[in-house]
Amino acid sequence: MKLAWQNIIHDRSRFSVTVLGVSFAVFLMVFQGSLLVGFLRAASRLIDASDADIWITARGVQAFEFGTTLESRVREMAAGVPGVLATDRVCMAFAVYRTPKGKQQVVALVGADPNVGKRFPVPDVPELAGEISPDAVLYDVSDRDLIAVPALPTEVEINRHRASIERQIQGYGAFLGVPFLFTSYRNAIRYLGFGPDDAMYVVLRVSKGSSVADVKQSLQERLPEVDVLTRDEFAHKSRMYWTIKTGAGGAILTAAVLGFLIGLVVVSQTIYANTMENIEEYATLKALGAPRSLVARVVLTQALLCGTVGSILGLIAVIPVINHATSLIPWIYMPWWLPAVMVVPSLTMCSLASIASVRSALTVEPGRVFRA
Amino acid sequence: MPKKHLPSTVYEDVTELPPSRTARNRVKRAAYSAGLAVEDRLEPSLGVDEARSSRFLGVEGATVSFGQGDARIWPLRGVSVTFQRGTLSLVMGPSGSGKTTLLSMLGCLLSPDEGSVFVDDVLVNQLSETEKTAIRQKKIGFVFQAFRLFHSLSAIDNVALGFELRDPKQSQRLEMARQLLDQFGLGDKCNQEPNELSPGERQRVAVARALAGDPPILLADEPTASLDAQAGRNICQILRNQVDEHGRTVVVVSHDPRWRKFADRTITLCDGQVEQGGRNL
Repeated sequence: MKLAWQNIIHDRSRFSVTVLGVSFAVFLMVFQGSLLVGFLRAASRLIDASDADIWITARGVQAFEFGTTLESRVREMAAGVPGVLATDRVCMAFAVYRTPKGKQQVVALVGADPNVGKRFPVPDVPELAGEISPDAVLYDVSDRDLIAVPALPTEVEINRHRASIERQIQGYGAFLGVPFLFTSYRNAIRYLGFGPDDAMYVVLRVSKGSSVADVKQSLQERLPEVDVLTRDEFAHKSRMYWTIKTGAGGAILTAAVLGFLIGLVVVSQTIYANTMENIEEYATLKALGAPRSLVARVVLTQALLCGTVGSILGLIAVIPVINHATSLIPWIYMPWWLPAVMVVPSLTMCSLASIASVRSALTVEPGRVFRA
Repeated sequence: MPKKHLPSTVYEDVTELPPSRTARNRVKRAAYSAGLAVEDRLEPSLGVDEARSSRFLGVEGATVSFGQGDARIWPLRGVSVTFQRGTLSLVMGPSGSGKTTLLSMLGCLLSPDEGSVFVDDVLVNQLSETEKTAIRQKKIGFVFQAFRLFHSLSAIDNVALGFELRDPKQSQRLEMARQLLDQFGLGDKCNQEPNELSPGERQRVAVARALAGDPPILLADEPTASLDAQAGRNICQILRNQVDEHGRTVVVVSHDPRWRKFADRTITLCDGQVEQGGRNL
C-alpha cells in the first residue's frame, strides 16, 4: 500500500489533474442534481406543505398551478363521507398586481383556509394569528424585486382590489418566473372574483382510525366527476407534469441525467488515464510475483484516494456555489443525501475504471516488462 | 521435511505423480507449498537424478507463436535448452531470434504453444496462473534492461518491496534491504529515488531487489545494455558472484560480448531456433 500512496504523492501534478477531473465531475453531478431535486420539490411544495390526507381536484387537473373550480356541493358531499374529519379549501389563480409606484406584474395568488397546514403559507394560520391582519398578503423574499414594496406593511392592488403586503416568507419563491402571493381563502376569492362557495381544491383530513385508502375510495364512488388523490399522489402527479410534460422540466431532467452520465464518464476517463500511466509499474509488479489481488489492491487504493480527495474538493466547491445560486435560482435545493448519492457512484466508477484499466496489467503481455 | 504439512498422497521425496491430472496438480501444489521438489515424469526413460539435473530449468520442444493468419510469427520453433544449477548461462542472438521469448517462458510469463517449461524441477506450463505467480515470487529474480524500478519509491523501499513480495510477513525487510544495498556499495544511497541515481546504481538496486528473498534463479534481460563500460563490468561481476558464492542459477540474455568471459556456457539463437548450446526438434 506504500507504493499506492507514494505513487500519488510522488507525481503531484498528475495527482492534481486527476483530482481536478473528479472534482469537476462531482461538482457537475451535485449541481445538476440540486437543480432537478429543487425543481421537483418546487413543483409540489404547496401540496407537500398541506397537512391534508386527500386532495379533491377537478377532473384532469395535472398540477397545482392549473386547477379549475369545483362545484360547491363537492365540499359538502365530501364532508358527509364517513372518516372525513375536516374539509378546507385552497385556490390559486393568476392575478394582476400593481406596485405602489404603479408598476404592473402578473402574480400567482394562492388562498387557503387556516387549517390547511401548519407549513402552508397563509396569514391566518393559528401560529401567526394576532401578529398580522387576517387580510394580509405574504410574499417570498426571493421575489422582493418583482413585488417591489419599499417597506412592510405596504398597500398595493391585486386585480384592482386594495391589499396589504405585510410579511416576507422563505421557501416559496417563483420557479416559473411569476411570483406567488399568499393570502387567506376569503381574501383570495374576493381578489379573484370567485363565488363564496367556490373552491379549486378541497383538502381533507381523515379521522384517526380511518383508512385513507378506504376514505379515498368512498369519496371517489360518491364523487365520480372529480379526481380524488392522496396528498402524495397529487404531489407526484404535479411533479411528473412539470418534469415530463413541460419544456423547462424536460430540459432540467435531461441536463441532470446528462450531468450525471458526463460526470461518471469524466471520473472513469480520469481514473483510467491515471492508472494507465502507471501500467508499466503494475506489469513489473506482477512480473516480480505480486499476486493479482495485490496489484488490484494497489490500483484500487490509488483510484479511491484520488476519488475521495476529488469528491471532497468537488463538494467543498459546490456547496457555496449552490448557496450563492439561490439568489438567482431560488428553488435550487441540495438535500443532505444528494452528495452521498452522487459521490457513491463516483467512487464506484473510480473503482470500476481502475479495475478496467488494471486488467491490462493483470493480463500483461510478457514482452512488456522486458522491453526497454 | 515434516510430513504434517502434506496430504497423505505426498511424501518426502516426491518423484512420481498420480496418473490423473487433477490428482497430479493437487499433489504438486501441496508439495510446492511445502517446499518439496516434484518430478512430473514426462519421459519415464530418464532416471530421477538425471531428470532432476536436466530439468532444473529449461524448455523442451518449445514452440511459441504470436498473431494469426498471414501476420503470424514464430519467435521460437521446437527449441530445447536446459540450464544447469549453479551456472551462469548466456543467451545470445540477433534481434528477433527469440531470446526474450525464451526468457519469458523461463520466467513463467509466457506458456509455449507446444512443448514444456521446467522451473526448479516443476513442469510449469500446466500450472495455473496463481501457481506460476507463486513460482515467480519464490524462485525467480528478474533484472531488466530498463531497470523497472518503482520511481516513487526510494532505493531501500524498492528492495524492501522485493522482500515483501516474497514474504509479506517479513518484518525485518527494511533492515535486510539495507544490508543488501550495503553489499552492492549503495549503503549511502538508500533513501534516494531511482531518478537520483546513475544508471549503474539503478541497475545495482534492481539486482538487489531481484535477490531479495534469496531466489535460486536469476533471469536478466540485457542487464548491461543501458550502462557504460565500468558499470557494465560491475554488473557482470555481481551476477557472476551470485553463481560462485551463492550457487544461484543465472540466465543472461545479452548482445554484449563481454559476458562471454563471465558465462559458463553460451547458447545462441537465430530465427527462433538454437544454433549453439541446445537442440531443435
